[in-house]
Amino acid sequence: MRRVTPVSGGRQLQRNEARLGWALALPALSVIALVAIGPILWAIWESLHLHDLRMPWLGRRFIGAQNYIEAFSDSRFWDAIGHTVIFAVASVTIELVVGLALAIAVDSMTRGRGVVRTAMLLPWAVPTVVVGLVWRFIFETPGGLVNTILFRAGVMAQPPIWFADPVAAWVPVILADVWKTAPFVAILLLAGLQVIDTSLYEAAQIDGASSWQQFTRITLPLLRPALLVALIFRTVDAFRVFDVIYVMTGGGPGTATEPIALYTFSALLENLRFGFGSALSVIIFTVTFVLALLAIRLMGRRALLEPVS
Amino acid sequence: MLRKLCRACAYALTAIAFVVTLGCSRTDPHVLTFAGSAVGKEGEAIRLQLDRFGKMHPDIRVEVQPTPDAANHRHQLYLQWLNARAADPDVLQLDVVWTPEFAAAGWVLNLDRFHPQVEDFFPATLTANRWNGALYALPWFVDAGMLYWRTDVIARPPADLDDLRRLAADGMREHAVPFGFVWQGARYEGLVTVFLEQLGAFGGEILDDRGRVVVDSDRAVDALTQMRDWIYTDGIVPAAVLTWQEEQVRLAFQNGQAVFMRNWPYAYSLLQDPAQSRVAGRFGVAPIPAANSGSPTAALGGSALAINANSGDPGAAYALIEYLLEPAQLLERAQLVGEYPPRPTMYATGKLGDALQINPSEARRIIEDAVPRPVTPVYSELSEILQIALHRALTRQQEPRVALRDAAAAMRKLLERFELDATPR
Repeated sequence: MRRVTPVSGGRQLQRNEARLGWALALPALSVIALVAIGPILWAIWESLHLHDLRMPWLGRRFIGAQNYIEAFSDSRFWDAIGHTVIFAVASVTIELVVGLALAIAVDSMTRGRGVVRTAMLLPWAVPTVVVGLVWRFIFETPGGLVNTILFRAGVMAQPPIWFADPVAAWVPVILADVWKTAPFVAILLLAGLQVIDTSLYEAAQIDGASSWQQFTRITLPLLRPALLVALIFRTVDAFRVFDVIYVMTGGGPGTATEPIALYTFSALLENLRFGFGSALSVIIFTVTFVLALLAIRLMGRRALLEPVS
Repeated sequence: MLRKLCRACAYALTAIAFVVTLGCSRTDPHVLTFAGSAVGKEGEAIRLQLDRFGKMHPDIRVEVQPTPDAANHRHQLYLQWLNARAADPDVLQLDVVWTPEFAAAGWVLNLDRFHPQVEDFFPATLTANRWNGALYALPWFVDAGMLYWRTDVIARPPADLDDLRRLAADGMREHAVPFGFVWQGARYEGLVTVFLEQLGAFGGEILDDRGRVVVDSDRAVDALTQMRDWIYTDGIVPAAVLTWQEEQVRLAFQNGQAVFMRNWPYAYSLLQDPAQSRVAGRFGVAPIPAANSGSPTAALGGSALAINANSGDPGAAYALIEYLLEPAQLLERAQLVGEYPPRPTMYATGKLGDALQINPSEARRIIEDAVPRPVTPVYSELSEILQIALHRALTRQQEPRVALRDAAAAMRKLLERFELDATPR
């Protein structure tokens, strides 16, 4: 046993406090290490190997960055990245616009706001796979609801075969995603709208500002934190999109709607290429991680504080 | 307090360890497990036959290990078990395209040690279950692509592919049938089987007999170009087939919307059922016709039975396989489930015709045209590459020649990566 000479009462106490703090955090930290950090490190290690569950005779060779080189020289990989960006930009933009419109509409209601707010969240509560299947059914050819309506209304004599057309296939996919998540955006924005001081609008009205001016000069700037939160959440989510596309198009026609998460799934879980699939996962993880870090910096530093002060 | 917690943890761990050991231990060495389709009529049939086998062998008890119905899910589950070197299940129902993969990985036993009687099997079904010259699984039932045609719309089945196009167009025009020809065109395994048949009809192949990729040949390009032109130029195939699988195709034909349909034998008895089919008694089946350069080809499907390489009792497992492949059991399966036996001699008996509601000699003629899909351990990946290329060409994202050239390059790279490019076959 070694006796520690007390330096000063205060510092000793601080050190004890710190030790206790670590001790108390230890169970939580070990759980995080076990379920998050461990698997991530394992995936990175795995991504440096040639490991194919179907080819036991090849063993599990260490091949350095070969899997990453293969990914970066693979046109299907870059296509998948492109599709992910297309999906993210299109769906998030539409969701923000629709969500904002919904939020403003609900905010201006004087009666029944609670009921509408709850009803609005229903699409968001439906499992994505179910949403995908229902929208797929609506756009099915022939006999799908959309094509029947387009044909009957005389809009198109020959409505597209949605899921066999590399461009048209995006329409049902993005629509389904917007239908499901615009309400979520709306709720986030509604919360933002409700904290805006109404006296600002009263003052603006007295000064003779039109409602468009009120919207652009008061609502939008003050809504920025909420908009940013919605934008970041949705972008990170959209980058990982999997279920809605898996169910609706399976990435097709060809691979025209295949996002990066679906390509990873196909490599890792369908073809059981653990090494290559892990490399793809690590790439997705890195991109999402960087996006999230950027988001935290943006939100933490300015966006959340500025308008309040 | 902390000590108490630790003790509780220790108890819990001991309990878990105990349960795990209990779960892993196999007390009775004579329990055989069978893994395969075990739902619906298939489940009924297999339980019946396993019970009977158990009565004949009182020292063996057979248990069914149900597996997912979707082929890719079952495949994934098998891989997990076999990679873990589990001794269960002893007997596995394999899809015909999985055998080389499982054989090359050393997961299933070489059956040659049991000196199986292979005289009475369709040769193609044996080819599909061989790897490096050895037999790894025995065919259990077969599937083959067939051409269904409407006897009330046209007078005879087509003699060749030009004839098919003419008859389809005539039927559409004269009898107001909306579609000429429907087949499985979604991006999935079914599309590969349809292509394989057209490829054979033009005299092309995916891999040649030395295992080299030849899917970018002129004949292959012709076959794929024809499939695309049926849709956009001849107008006999609706573009909607590019999203259709077996059931959507069957529904279109069953509702009287098509002159021709390419489908598996399972559709036959369903189409004969007047309660749901508008074409009951008004259709026939024929081999899928060929062009001048090739011969009629049917894609071979079906299941085979194999033995887990880590099985505790391979002898008993083989006895079970032999029993399930007896003509009497196969006939019963045909009656209960409607599956086609892999033994040609059975097609000479009237009983099989009654069971399958099809003219057995007609069925036999089609199955004899059947060719296996490429026999390679990386079939699933090969197929994925091909599915994407075919679907790109058929949805006009790429020219057939370009799509097949890209696919062939990707396949060659794949075989090279797995050191299969030089494997003797």
